[in-house]
Amino acid sequence: MSSSPFDPQSPTTPAAQSAPPPLPPGQSNASFVRLPKSPGLAACLSLFPGLGQVYNGRIARAFVFFFSWVGSIYLTTTGHEFPFAFMIPFVYLFNIIDAWKGANAANARFLGGRTEAEEQPEIESPVWGGTLVVLGLLILLNNLGWLDIDRLARWWPVLLIAIGGYFVYNSLEARKGSGGSGE
Amino acid sequence: MTRSAFSPEGVTFGVCLVALGVLGTLANLGKLELLPLLRTWWPLSLVLWGVLELADLFVRRSSSGRS
Repeated sequence: MSSSPFDPQSPTTPAAQSAPPPLPPGQSNASFVRLPKSPGLAACLSLFPGLGQVYNGRIARAFVFFFSWVGSIYLTTTGHEFPFAFMIPFVYLFNIIDAWKGANAANARFLGGRTEAEEQPEIESPVWGGTLVVLGLLILLNNLGWLDIDRLARWWPVLLIAIGGYFVYNSLEARKGSGGSGE
Repeated sequence: MTRSAFSPEGVTFGVCLVALGVLGTLANLGKLELLPLLRTWWPLSLVLWGVLELADLFVRRSSSGRS
C-alpha cells in the first residue's frame, strides 16, 4: 500500500517530522492528565446564567446566579431601574468569571492543590451566612407587610460603606497576618 | 483544614425541593393556593441557607479548636 501525503503515519508529512518519537509499547505518556473540568466550556455554558455552575457541580450557586439575573431584570422592568439595571451586567459577567474560576478550582482540587476553604476565605467568615439571614428576613418582613423596603431604598449607599469597610478590614487583617512586612 | 462534607447549600436546595413538592401536591389536591404562599414565604429559604452556613462555620471552628 502506498503512503498518502495526508497519511499521518507517512514520514513525508511535516506533522510526522516534528512529532516526538513514539513511546515503546506498554508505556504511556504519564505527564498527560485529563482534567475533570474545562474552564472554557464552563464560561461558554454560563452565557446562560447558572449553566456553567451546574457544569461545575455547584447547583445552589447556579440557582443564586439565575435568580439574581432574572430578579434584576424583573425589578428593572417594574420601575426599580436604580440600582437593579446596573446589577444585570454585573451579575451576568460575575457569573461567567465565577464559572471559569470554579472549573479551575475543581481542577486544582483534582490535582491535589489547595482545599476549597483555602481558595475561598469567605467560607471561614460569618459574613456570607449573616448576609443571607439578614437579606431573607428583610424580604420576608416586607412580604408580610411589617416593613417597607422601598422606604429603606434611599439608604442603599450604606451598602457601599459596608462593603468598602469589609475590604479595608480584610486588607488590614491580611497585613497583620503577614507580620506587617510592608512597614 | 479541609471543609466538612456537610454542604449548607446542598441541604437548603434539597429542603426547598421537598417543600416545593409537598406544597405542589397539596395545591394539586386543592388544599392551598401555591403561588401566593410562595410569593410571601420564599425568603425563608435564604434564612435557612444563612443559618446553615453559620451553623456549619461554628461547628468547623469548634472542631478545629478541639483538635
